[in-house]
Amino acid sequence: MPSSKIGRRKFLADTTASVGFFAVAPSALLASPPRRSPNELYGGALIGCGGRGPSTYQEMTKNLPVEQRAQCDVKFVDKADNKMFYTDFRRVLERKDIDLVAIGTPPHWHSLISIAAAEAGKDVLCEKPMTRFIAEGRAVADTFKRYKRIFQIGTFGRFGVSKDKKNIEIHKIMRSGFLKENPGVYVKSGGLKVKEWSGRVNLAPQTPPANLDWNFYVGASPMKPYVPPRHGGTHRGYWDYEGGGLADMAQHTLDPYQWIYGKDDTSPVEIEAYAPPAHPEVCAMWGWIEMKYADGFTLVLESGEWGNKYDRKPARKPVLEDLDEESRKKLAALPDPEPLVTFAEAVRTRKQPGGNAEAAHRCAILLHLANIAIRTGRKLRFDPVKEEFVGDELANRYANPPMRAPWHL
Amino acid sequence: MTQDKIAEAVEQVPALDKRGTFTGPAWEEILPAVDSVLSAGKDGVVAVVAMLKDVDDGADYKARYFLHVIAQYVGRPGKEAARATFIEALASQLGGDRPKGVQGYVARQLQVAGSKDSAPALGKVLADPDLCEYATQALLAIRTGAVEEFRKALPELKGGPRLTVLQALGVLADGASVDAMKAAIADADREVRLAAGWGLARIGDAGSVDVVLKAADVDAGYERIKATSSALLLAEKLLSAGKKADAAKIYKHLQGTRTDPSEAYVKEVASEGLAKAGG
Repeated sequence: MPSSKIGRRKFLADTTASVGFFAVAPSALLASPPRRSPNELYGGALIGCGGRGPSTYQEMTKNLPVEQRAQCDVKFVDKADNKMFYTDFRRVLERKDIDLVAIGTPPHWHSLISIAAAEAGKDVLCEKPMTRFIAEGRAVADTFKRYKRIFQIGTFGRFGVSKDKKNIEIHKIMRSGFLKENPGVYVKSGGLKVKEWSGRVNLAPQTPPANLDWNFYVGASPMKPYVPPRHGGTHRGYWDYEGGGLADMAQHTLDPYQWIYGKDDTSPVEIEAYAPPAHPEVCAMWGWIEMKYADGFTLVLESGEWGNKYDRKPARKPVLEDLDEESRKKLAALPDPEPLVTFAEAVRTRKQPGGNAEAAHRCAILLHLANIAIRTGRKLRFDPVKEEFVGDELANRYANPPMRAPWHL
Repeated sequence: MTQDKIAEAVEQVPALDKRGTFTGPAWEEILPAVDSVLSAGKDGVVAVVAMLKDVDDGADYKARYFLHVIAQYVGRPGKEAARATFIEALASQLGGDRPKGVQGYVARQLQVAGSKDSAPALGKVLADPDLCEYATQALLAIRTGAVEEFRKALPELKGGPRLTVLQALGVLADGASVDAMKAAIADADREVRLAAGWGLARIGDAGSVDVVLKAADVDAGYERIKATSSALLLAEKLLSAGKKADAAKIYKHLQGTRTDPSEAYVKEVASEGLAKAGG
């Protein structure tokens, strides 16, 4: 099997059908030199210290010599000394001795802090889900590209599945362009914590705790009065900060499959939800969401917690037998994909990590498409290049909602 | 349709569970009630608004939800007439005696379903500190007709509403607001300065290069980081508009001033940009 660049070029010259195979940005796209502290330790900061924050920080420091130099959280009002403890992430990012930033805030802060960190020259490991809405992900990906910084999403399932031979075969089939009609159907059934992460709507506003900067917590989202579940894990149940169990779990769940099925550089074109009309404030129940890609591949999320089961198509993986004999030979001649680069390797070598901003953004788009289909209550068509809904101006309002000043993308 | 009948329709929204979480009815279960309210025209929608309370503590959750269901429903193809009625009804509730909490909620429903026809009503409340943010967000979502409302409001605004509207003009990349932004880029308030610089960058005005670069040369800190980002954005805009010399001026400046090792990454971006600009 040819694995050299010459072999690839020859293969590409032999077939026009494989144009899409190498369309994803190669892993060694960014060649900016590593940025090191004078004492050879990387300076690390954790922004968003509750919930998943400490674990996200630990992931960031794996196989790297990192000294923690700052912790930042909007609930540190009573202990912020602006030396180790901060409430304002902007003061952390202006420090020259911080190289790496772990972001463990709720998702409504992920994009803004990631972007500001890249603009400040830092590398980022960001908890999932990557974003609260579609335009945020595009802005993050573009910013990290502009500044040649490293972004890795805080979910790592693709690193394991991309080593499995069977998964590699499916990945190659999907990326080859040899399938005349893609028969693949992936159904994720259950495990999306829909009821668990539904928000509460019967709570009277309260005065925020003295140690919490509520205005800063709300950030770019619409200002709402404080009720306890809007902060501290249960924020997941409110559209202003996340997108329910679907947003919380689906990036985690779908990220490995997005790699297996070779969809890191595109998005579905048709989305349909089976769900009750959405609530304006809280994420609530839904039945299933069907998302079709342009090549015919179908992705289904099924909650198993509301309404009838999804019964349109059975799950089915693409297999070699779906290809004609000539295509199978060509596929066998294709090189395997390069191993995914970890965050630590990426920081050292300036290669793009496996869960880079573009790939993470494409995965986050899936959650957002699903939630927007729920929130609009109608079948939607999506343009994966423009990253906009087609012929539905009202749906696009959910793809890029305005931010509260002074925050903007 | 009487208020009692409207209340009866709204009452069809299911009760909350013990935990206070929500399971909506299936669309086919609630649509007859929605259609019955819409069949009463503007008065039917206003009657639902009348059921809202100032404070969202769950007591009026059925009416809030019902109004939002209508907002989703009228966005469907073929529902244009119903949408126009819905918008007219909601717009009529802004700027009057309704509690601010209710007006804020109404503005948020216009963010979902409003059109250019609701822009003047939203513009009317931009000067209200309690409603400015919601009205701005609705206008930005609607887009058509928004810029005129922001331009009209800006000169009279102070404090938070001024920043909100100034930023909104930047979001819309309003070329007619260049002078206002050039004045604001030297404001005493850091957030106003940053919003103005970002707005000028989004507009892509070649005549703003000098003021944007001056703003970016502020002492080290967050403002320098963000203002530098705006300068790079302006350079990209100019480059894509074919104004290579103006873009090159920005890149050369950043290349020459970002000499501290902690800003080497900016220098690198500038050098790449300069190569593209042919400088």
